[in-house]
Amino acid sequence: MVWEIGLPLPFAASLPEHPTETELAEACRRGQVRAFEHLYRVHSARMKSLAFHLLGSRADAEDTVQEAFLKVCRAARGFEGNSSLSTWIYRILINCCYDAIRKKQRLAENAAPAEFRAESNVTLKVALERALKALNERQRMVFLLFEVEGLRHSEIAAILEVPEGTSRSWLFEAKCQLKRMLTEAPK
Amino acid sequence: MKFECGDLERALANSDLFPEAREHLKSCAVCRREYRLWSEISSVARELHEEWDTPALWPSIRQAIEAERKPERIWWKQRKTWAAAAALVIAIVVPVGLWRHSVATAPPARTPAATTPTATRQTPTPDFLTEQALREVEKSEAAYRQSIAKLSQLAAPKLSTQSSPEVANEKERLALLDSAIAETRASVASNRFNIRLQTALADLYRQKQETLRDVLSHDAKN
Ligand SMILES: [Zn+2]
Repeated sequence: MVWEIGLPLPFAASLPEHPTETELAEACRRGQVRAFEHLYRVHSARMKSLAFHLLGSRADAEDTVQEAFLKVCRAARGFEGNSSLSTWIYRILINCCYDAIRKKQRLAENAAPAEFRAESNVTLKVALERALKALNERQRMVFLLFEVEGLRHSEIAAILEVPEGTSRSWLFEAKCQLKRMLTEAPK
Repeated sequence: MKFECGDLERALANSDLFPEAREHLKSCAVCRREYRLWSEISSVARELHEEWDTPALWPSIRQAIEAERKPERIWWKQRKTWAAAAALVIAIVVPVGLWRHSVATAPPARTPAATTPTATRQTPTPDFLTEQALREVEKSEAAYRQSIAKLSQLAAPKLSTQSSPEVANEKERLALLDSAIAETRASVASNRFNIRLQTALADLYRQKQETLRDVLSHDAKN
């Protein structure tokens, strides 16, 4: 019989180095910090990048990723496994990003009518970055998740809770819109 | 159907049209440029993935998670806590002081048995237990109390019949420990997550267990 007072168990309990989805979900439900740390290691780079593109600054992206992890942690006990953990945390992150956008009242600016014109002296990367801001919300989201962060349509569909075909069609719309913006450069 | 420049977007969405589109691209520079741009958008998009080091981010998240779990984050600001702490000092320090005094005249302590709890380590510990850790601690405490009850039962005949100075000493020590345990348990009941209270309680149980073993060891020697 050993008293575990020195090390509160959720911090001390072990998680396999490569946990299965079920093991990870169970550890999250039990509130094991190691499980959240594992999720952080796997997903934080993409999460930060996505938040950066939605919010426009690294500092805001970091704050929002932190907020998302706290929400994941608070809600983990009730995670029912209807979706995969990664789907679930991206969904939470996206909601946090929208909350942050609303808080800063940037939504109006971001949703401004597309008046982007590609300039001959900027690289395609910079032009694309600017053009992205002129897309509508769903087009930008699918484009960021698929083209920038490399998620599959099946994953995006699960995160956004839409059919896979919808994800494909939103991406197509987004690319058409971007192509138009990038070719409509002033003469 | 003849493929025209206006059909290009439809062609990009639908691979069935692609062979015709390909033919058109050979002869139309405008569509060729658009098609190249279409592919470039995807390849350049990969470069938009933003990667930067954030060594402080996880520690900060972890700290925030831990802070949220502390049920009484501002416990040290509460007057009730100070009152409880003062009561605890009286309940623990005084009896332990008295006990230490009596220990000076008692026989040398036995080597702690294998079942001695590890909670008595004097290493600094976090202030609060999490829910799950608490459940484990309470389970261990129950096991501890059971073991003490068994030892008490075994030591009872010796304690009630013998009146040697050693046994008298141990009886006095056990009485002090019992009252300290009762006081500490009362404090723990209203502050179950406080790791220091739980550690103090574990220490008192350990002392009681050792004292009972001392009683039983005289028994064996006599
Ligand atoms: Zn053409």
